[in-house]
Amino acid sequence: MATNAIDQTRRMLSLVTYLRERPGARVADVARAFGITEDELIADLTVLPMCGTSFRGGDLLDIDTDGEHIWWRNPDAAGSSSGAPLRLAADEATALLVAARAVATLPGLRESDRQALLRATAKLEAAAGEAAGASSRLSVTFESEGGVFADVDRAISERRRLWLRYYSPARDELTEREVDPIRLFAVGHTYMEAWCRTSEARRTFRLDRVAEIRLLDEAADPPQLELRDLSEGLVQPAAGDPEVVVETGPGGRWVAEYYPHDSAEELPDGGLRITLRTPDPAGLRRLALRLGGDGRIASPPGLAESARESACRALAAYGE
Amino acid sequence: MAIAKAERLMNLALCLLGTRRPLSKRELRSSIEAYIEAGGDDAFNRMFERDKDDLRELGLVIETVESVDGEIGYRAARDSNRLPPVSLDAEEAAALSLAAKVWQQARLAGAASGALQKLRAAGMPLAGEGYGHSPLEPRIPAHEPAFEPLMLACRDRRPVVFDYRKSSAVRPESRHVEPWVLECCRGHWYLAGWDRERRAERVFRLSRITGRVRSRAGAFTAPVPDQVTVRETVERWAGEVATSTARIRLRTGAGYPLRARAVAVRETGAGWDELEIPYGHGLDAWLVEFGPDVVVLGPDELRTDVVERLRAVAKG
Repeated sequence: MATNAIDQTRRMLSLVTYLRERPGARVADVARAFGITEDELIADLTVLPMCGTSFRGGDLLDIDTDGEHIWWRNPDAAGSSSGAPLRLAADEATALLVAARAVATLPGLRESDRQALLRATAKLEAAAGEAAGASSRLSVTFESEGGVFADVDRAISERRRLWLRYYSPARDELTEREVDPIRLFAVGHTYMEAWCRTSEARRTFRLDRVAEIRLLDEAADPPQLELRDLSEGLVQPAAGDPEVVVETGPGGRWVAEYYPHDSAEELPDGGLRITLRTPDPAGLRRLALRLGGDGRIASPPGLAESARESACRALAAYGE
Repeated sequence: MAIAKAERLMNLALCLLGTRRPLSKRELRSSIEAYIEAGGDDAFNRMFERDKDDLRELGLVIETVESVDGEIGYRAARDSNRLPPVSLDAEEAAALSLAAKVWQQARLAGAASGALQKLRAAGMPLAGEGYGHSPLEPRIPAHEPAFEPLMLACRDRRPVVFDYRKSSAVRPESRHVEPWVLECCRGHWYLAGWDRERRAERVFRLSRITGRVRSRAGAFTAPVPDQVTVRETVERWAGEVATSTARIRLRTGAGYPLRARAVAVRETGAGWDELEIPYGHGLDAWLVEFGPDVVVLGPDELRTDVVERLRAVAKG
């Protein structure tokens, strides 16, 4: 985690309060309590002895560590009031309250966790006082896809295999699969990451596309995998995936908002030339159909042709 | 080597918190090593003003007091800076720690961990091993560059100007907005506020803001409503607010999402089913995605829209 001066100052102010109450605190425990690495903590501890109420008077914090314990030899040096825990800043109250309110609405949250979160939120609102005011100007909602959530949740905690009937929009078909769930996460929609026994590969399933679900008696046995870093985005095309070029008019600019892409060049008419990669270009035929007059597949030619042919067959039903 | 900013801020904070009487700028300058080394008066003054702003962002309440001889003194009083007593048990602490992890935006992630650290310093227990929370990882992305400036503008109630490109507009247009709230729906951020030129409430999608968000001086001119409903607007854009129903023929086995939303499904044999589905804005574009597996029976207006879209694709 990159540390900027603001975050470090904030943390050091809390450290001063925390260490005052705990002479000889262990480095490992303090790092854990503050959610930082031991190296980050040691870096803070080298700055703190330079801080105090008077540089000239030599009234600096005498804080020292041997790498295992932390000692503070003059805890009364920093003045009488700086030891008290500090009030929350507006941004701090907002960050925590908005997150807590959002998580409390998650349809799949266990009831005991939701109750704990609601109690904590109420206490926090009271403690934050007027700093809590601005938190109503930010809000987050997650989609309610609770129907199958309980089964996935249970499968993960009991380490059991799942049977799914899952909808693939790219092919407009339902497939049956057996999967070993790995984790659940929510980014707008709720997703399950799992090892798919049917395709012998890691797959991400969006819960609102699960048409049917059943817990199996077999134990889940996913291979040891490194968890994906979700901050990189959900769809991470591989370098070797085939390239597709979509040219849109102004009315098709939304494609760039919904499809992760390598590049989007402006076209003179206000449209975009979007280059993206996908393991399954055939799945983009739906996109070509949806775009209608607002865009077309420029490459590969086979994909453009299959969309055209599909539209002609559809028109036949209307007598054209 | 210049003294690190965190060290300078920390010293200023400790001086202001530790004093019983207001300290003048002169006193502060001579107490803090970085200020002694700051050079000329201008450099020092700029640094001092910025540092005070930074500490206020961190939640410090700094009073300014004018003394009898006209000198300004600064002090962070004990009572106005203390966190009121808050007692959280281990289960509540675990729930808050889970919530604090959701931010994928640097400023809010930093603020959330800072809040937890303050609570920890105030005695919040560590979540014990025994508290297993739901195996669910909620994440809130905020990759849009407009997010942070708009968040601050909403917080401080500052009017803003930005270039905005409507979904099908050829060129972006400049919009003057009094920002009310930011809301994240389906993983995308939206701003609701008062559009000064259109003299009406408007919802903006952050990913369609091009260029920088600039602050404007002055206060809001329109009243801020108690309730702002971003989600309803977004659902209307997405065509989820159905106004009537449509009848379609759907090939057996195809179009699961259409079936999942259908009001009625009837098997007609010969490999086709007949469905009644909610009809709202955007249904034509969605139905065309299913190509020859969907035939619109009515109403006529929908049938015409779908045929027109298909013709455009068939032309190539």
